[in-house]
Amino acid sequence: MRYPYHFFVSELLKGAGVLCFAFFCSPVFAALGQDVSSVQADRAHMKAQISVLPGPAYSIHEMRSPAGITVREFVSPAGEVFGLWWQGPQIPDLRQLLGEHFDEYMQAAQNSPRISRRVVHIETGDLVFESGGHMKFFLGRAYLRSKLPDGASTDVIH
Amino acid sequence: MSSTKSRLRLAAGCVLAVSLSACGGVSSTKKSAVPVSNMVPAVVNAGPDNAYANGLFTTVSICVPGSSNCQTINGVLVDTGSFGLRLLSSVIPSALNSALPREKDSNGNTVVECAEFSDGITWGPVVTADVKISGEVASAIPVQVIGDPSFPTVPSGCSSAGAPEDTLAKLGTNGILGIGAFVLDGSPYYSCAGSSCEPATISTAQFVSNPVASFAKDNNGVIVELPAATSTTASLTGSVVFGIGTETNNALGNATVFTIDLKTGNFTTAFKNKTYASAGFLDTGSNGFFFLNSSTAGMPTCPSPANGFYCPASLTNLTATNTGANGTTGSVNFSVANADSLFSVPSAAVFPTLGGPLSGMFDWGLPFFYGRDVYVAIYGKEAPAGNGPYWAY
Repeated sequence: MRYPYHFFVSELLKGAGVLCFAFFCSPVFAALGQDVSSVQADRAHMKAQISVLPGPAYSIHEMRSPAGITVREFVSPAGEVFGLWWQGPQIPDLRQLLGEHFDEYMQAAQNSPRISRRVVHIETGDLVFESGGHMKFFLGRAYLRSKLPDGASTDVIH
Repeated sequence: MSSTKSRLRLAAGCVLAVSLSACGGVSSTKKSAVPVSNMVPAVVNAGPDNAYANGLFTTVSICVPGSSNCQTINGVLVDTGSFGLRLLSSVIPSALNSALPREKDSNGNTVVECAEFSDGITWGPVVTADVKISGEVASAIPVQVIGDPSFPTVPSGCSSAGAPEDTLAKLGTNGILGIGAFVLDGSPYYSCAGSSCEPATISTAQFVSNPVASFAKDNNGVIVELPAATSTTASLTGSVVFGIGTETNNALGNATVFTIDLKTGNFTTAFKNKTYASAGFLDTGSNGFFFLNSSTAGMPTCPSPANGFYCPASLTNLTATNTGANGTTGSVNFSVANADSLFSVPSAAVFPTLGGPLSGMFDWGLPFFYGRDVYVAIYGKEAPAGNGPYWAY
């Protein structure tokens, strides 16, 4: 099993609604590309309220943190998180949300040519990451091309 | 407009003349009595690391509060998309750095900021300094020292927002002068006991804040004045004027006022039948026009590694419409050229037609400012045409 801690705590969350402590949850939980149960780990990490908008092609799990950051996780019928979108006065915990793709993002971001203070646009094979904005207003999204469900274009991730 | 242009030409001569204070004395051509202590030359060039595209740089001084222990630092990015002064520790002499009072929290621990930018974070302690720009002074305000050797380890909670930019090579500038339309930033702060740092809540008085708002005078906003750039060049010289309607050289004149959303700091921009409600903004710290995606904009992006920019086959002329929170509307013409071609021009750093894709917002970066006087009125400050925040051009 590739993410033992992840599954362990996911089961706890599902079974008893146990709150996970930041210490316990921080580094090992992934959402992008992971099973829908990882959304709960993200929710707990953000101390967020969550609402679910089901749909035929995909469902949207929306979380709002006390700091005012809104995160939407797009879940395919296969139960996988294929996209993320966020907006708020601060940047969300990308290590948590991108999971195993975080290092890929960090590397690509640091290798981008021509310095820009505001805009990140990364395409590394499967991962597409876009973010921008300014202090007090950050907005971005990320998705995995290979995980887009049939009938969903990248435009749905907003 | 013609007087603005001649002033800008003189300002260009000033930079060559090196002595900025002397420059102030000769750069006013509007009226002989114009006080020029509220104007600082600013230049678009490749910056101190010789790597920037469309970066606007100026000079600031910091001092131990109330003392003459100061350092003048050039190559500081002028950024209307952030709030507060942030300087690399490597450009602050260590004797001065150690003499700048560290901000402490209620437990006596050092306050360290994780300042968030879209492309990365700056991590470092908050110090108190007098900030002097041209003849303006902000006394004893919180300033961030980026990459201070006393706090070498960035907490994972901070680096989760992006890659640390704590050296000249990573930041591309000696510092960032955040003089946008707000006073306070909203970034996370930490309390550090030794090298052990925990997220902390501090009072807003301790937040790194827009120096302009703390100036003794001319503190209600700025005007960014840049001449038109008709082609890709190595540099472009203009100025930043402090205050709006406070002196004879900073009248609002007939500029059109667009008020901005108090929460997001944005107005609304409509382009190609798409409306970015409260998601359009003017930003000297963005280095191009960023909007839409390849298929909707009708332009291909460049091949990697410049795939964050557009590469149309030929110069593409476009129009978008801005609408302020006050309902004021105005259209803006702009053009996007092939970024790979632009970047192939030797020594070029001024790219008036640089553009790229961006999801969910419309970012009017520095090219928007070329050939315009852009007014930025600060939130809560009394200004001509009503209180800030607003943009006018």
